[in-house]
Amino acid sequence: MIFTILEHILTHISFSIISIVIMIYLMTFFVHESVGLPDSSEKGMIATFLSITGLLVSRWISSGHFPLSNLYESLIFLSCSLSIIHTIYKMGNHKNYLNTITASSTIFTQGFATSGLLTEMHQSVILVPALQSQWLMMHVSMMLLSYAALLCGSLFSVALLVITFRKNINIFCNGKVKNFLIKKFIFGKINYWNEKRSAYKNTSFLSFRNYYKYQLTQRLDYLSYRVISLGFTFLTIGILCGAVWANEAWGSYWSWDPKETWAFITWIIFAIYLHTRTSTNQSLQSTNSALVASMGFLIIWICYFGINLLGIGLHSYGSFTLTSKILNN
Amino acid sequence: MSSLLLNPHKALFTASSSFPLRSDVNAQILVASRRAATRIVDCRPRASRDSFEAEALPETNAKKKNANRKIILFGSSPPPLSEDRSGAAGNGRGKPGSEASSWGFFQKALKRALAVLSNLPLAIAEMFTIAALMALGTVIDQGEAPDYYFQKYPEENPMFGFFTWRWVLNLGFDHMFTSPVFLGLLILLACSLMACTYTTQIPLVKVARRWSFKHSAEAIRRQDFADSLPKASVKDLGIILMGAGYEGMAGRFAPIGVHISMLLIMVGGTLSAAGSFHGSVTVPQGLNFVVGDTMNPNGFLSFPTQSFDTEVHVNRFYMDYYDSGEVSQFYSDLSLFSLDGKELMRKTIRVNDPLRFRGITIYQTDWGFSALQITKNGEGPFNLAMAPLQMNGEKKLFGTFLPTGDADSPNVKGISMLARDLQSIVLYDQEGKFAGVRRPSSKLPIDIDGTRIVIEDAIGSTGLDLKTDPGVPIVYAGFGALMLTTCISYFSHSQIWALQDGTTVVIGGKTNRAKLEFRDEVNGLLDEVPELVSIDQNLNG
Repeated sequence: MIFTILEHILTHISFSIISIVIMIYLMTFFVHESVGLPDSSEKGMIATFLSITGLLVSRWISSGHFPLSNLYESLIFLSCSLSIIHTIYKMGNHKNYLNTITASSTIFTQGFATSGLLTEMHQSVILVPALQSQWLMMHVSMMLLSYAALLCGSLFSVALLVITFRKNINIFCNGKVKNFLIKKFIFGKINYWNEKRSAYKNTSFLSFRNYYKYQLTQRLDYLSYRVISLGFTFLTIGILCGAVWANEAWGSYWSWDPKETWAFITWIIFAIYLHTRTSTNQSLQSTNSALVASMGFLIIWICYFGINLLGIGLHSYGSFTLTSKILNN
Repeated sequence: MSSLLLNPHKALFTASSSFPLRSDVNAQILVASRRAATRIVDCRPRASRDSFEAEALPETNAKKKNANRKIILFGSSPPPLSEDRSGAAGNGRGKPGSEASSWGFFQKALKRALAVLSNLPLAIAEMFTIAALMALGTVIDQGEAPDYYFQKYPEENPMFGFFTWRWVLNLGFDHMFTSPVFLGLLILLACSLMACTYTTQIPLVKVARRWSFKHSAEAIRRQDFADSLPKASVKDLGIILMGAGYEGMAGRFAPIGVHISMLLIMVGGTLSAAGSFHGSVTVPQGLNFVVGDTMNPNGFLSFPTQSFDTEVHVNRFYMDYYDSGEVSQFYSDLSLFSLDGKELMRKTIRVNDPLRFRGITIYQTDWGFSALQITKNGEGPFNLAMAPLQMNGEKKLFGTFLPTGDADSPNVKGISMLARDLQSIVLYDQEGKFAGVRRPSSKLPIDIDGTRIVIEDAIGSTGLDLKTDPGVPIVYAGFGALMLTTCISYFSHSQIWALQDGTTVVIGGKTNRAKLEFRDEVNGLLDEVPELVSIDQNLNG
């Protein structure tokens, strides 16, 4: 009993802390001169991470099995992984102007999980015989970690595309980036594409604003590449673990199940991303790969959520019926 | 001669002992060398550096070999720098031209094919198409009768204006993952993989030839990031780089490894699809069957083996339940006998824990309710066969019927018994009203309409799947290799080329990272490389 209460408390704590953190970040967007707040937001993120982890651990203890057996638990795990990525990124001494993406992703997944749409799944359930295996831990956790990393990476790429292709860019600063980019700047009648090309080639001739834009896009490009390669590694391991588990359980390591197929499609899309980065045409390289990564963002959501909505196939454990709940209300 | 050649280097670089970062350093070196060229007549000017290198190489080459250096340099002029110069093309030119023209024609055609197939945009387009077809395969329902497609994609009202059932059936989209279009694309991708591996990556393995890729210091300087360390040695640099996590050759091998493991998986998958056997059987507890009777071949490479002559006894089938009544696990106690009656193996299998015997694997996949054993008014026991009843949802329901009147009359009345699992039986009387619940283990009697029923036993039947799959070892090997090589290629994503050029180490780097951070990191590393003060012993030895 105590674990259920603990779980309840931790859910609420994590949700509240992360809402506060998001508020802080939004405020630092609009009000540039905020000194003390970024520090507290960092502590807030760490507190969120700890409370989500505590939530998962208490669920593990109370139900007796690893907390990854239905959609609710997988969403909690996903938000935990996103906060892990945020924390690791923080510790790596990198300039931290991209934590808005990771933090807001965490809150969205956590919020959706704890929202009223999925209350019927909040109870811990018993495992059906097919899920009683050691492979459960390995396969599902790898897949969720990979989803988290790939989502972050593709969001960075989307940000890169937005920054590259907007004419009148109002780039809002975030805390420590203030010394990098200053206020809004407006481009005149210059053709942006040519400007970008020339910008990449002659760094020393760049104007002040172009140079900073270039720096930012390079940074985003690099980060997106790193995070996506990490996610790709996890995704490979997760898919292959799933195949081996399927062979142990049902005798067939690949049966073109919708979820398996979409995971494979995700894998292919990110393999294309990694291959487009080897092209030698420098000016197009980062935009091409960012386009592919943005496509990957959509595909991950289809793979993770869309298939569960259909509720068919071997992966029906994650299914839920959204519409019935809304209709009943 | 050698000292003359190398002296200018010494003279040049004593001046600059710091490790500068930008291109102005190269300018400095160039300037200095031009001065040196005017001083010493034998040296060529920097402009024709390639031939300069060619002169210097034989001596340094010999020294390299003595000093057991990693880098082997060639006396000939360096090949062009393009990385996708195929080793096959390079080798092909060396072949004697005195062969028959048909063989030569075949060779040329092969080279052309390789060049076309190892084109990266083609491979990317193939991958995209395969992904799109797979997505289509999940959207279109697979394996239905043609009527279904006539109704779903009618010609009168085509989806998106053009997509009718003709598209689906003619292109094989109703069995997408075995259709010729899909398989053809997979084969094309496999060919591209093989061509790419052969032409661009295997040549890297031939260390002797391929290190000359960048052996020219000029070539190295033309890299994205280049620097020179006067008075240093490659060995120290190598040690420091290793310490910093630069994997050296692993960075080059890992992509090859990834592609080879994917090819391995494809080969294994083809073997599985073509040469495996599969069978599914539901066996009541206490009965047995012969393996070979249940198996169906999957493809044209399926050959039955000796182990198909084994007999399987189902000794016992039972289930475990949670406290809430849900099923927790299925167990089947199986014994394998040879045809002459000798027991070969005995194991209790459950879901996720199959039985493996000489290439055959038996999985617990399903269960059924075979018969209910009851005594009626003390007579019996009778075995009443349980029939599966259709219901919405996943839960199974079995039922049977015990007639209490004349069994042949059309309106026969009797006692109905329903069960969801082997644990509890629900009984209904002649009017269909609920009469009671009994568990087989309790042996408690129940009186219904004057008849005393005792449920003796619930006999379940186990659903087993049998498989042989010759491709599994290959596929597992491919899986393991793929996991390993993907991890390795994640960790080594930058390359650093270093050349010992006299007393100088010329370093060039290429990376997928942002230039700034790579530059900073490499500069930090280079700062740690010790400066060698007395080089003369190495060079004159």
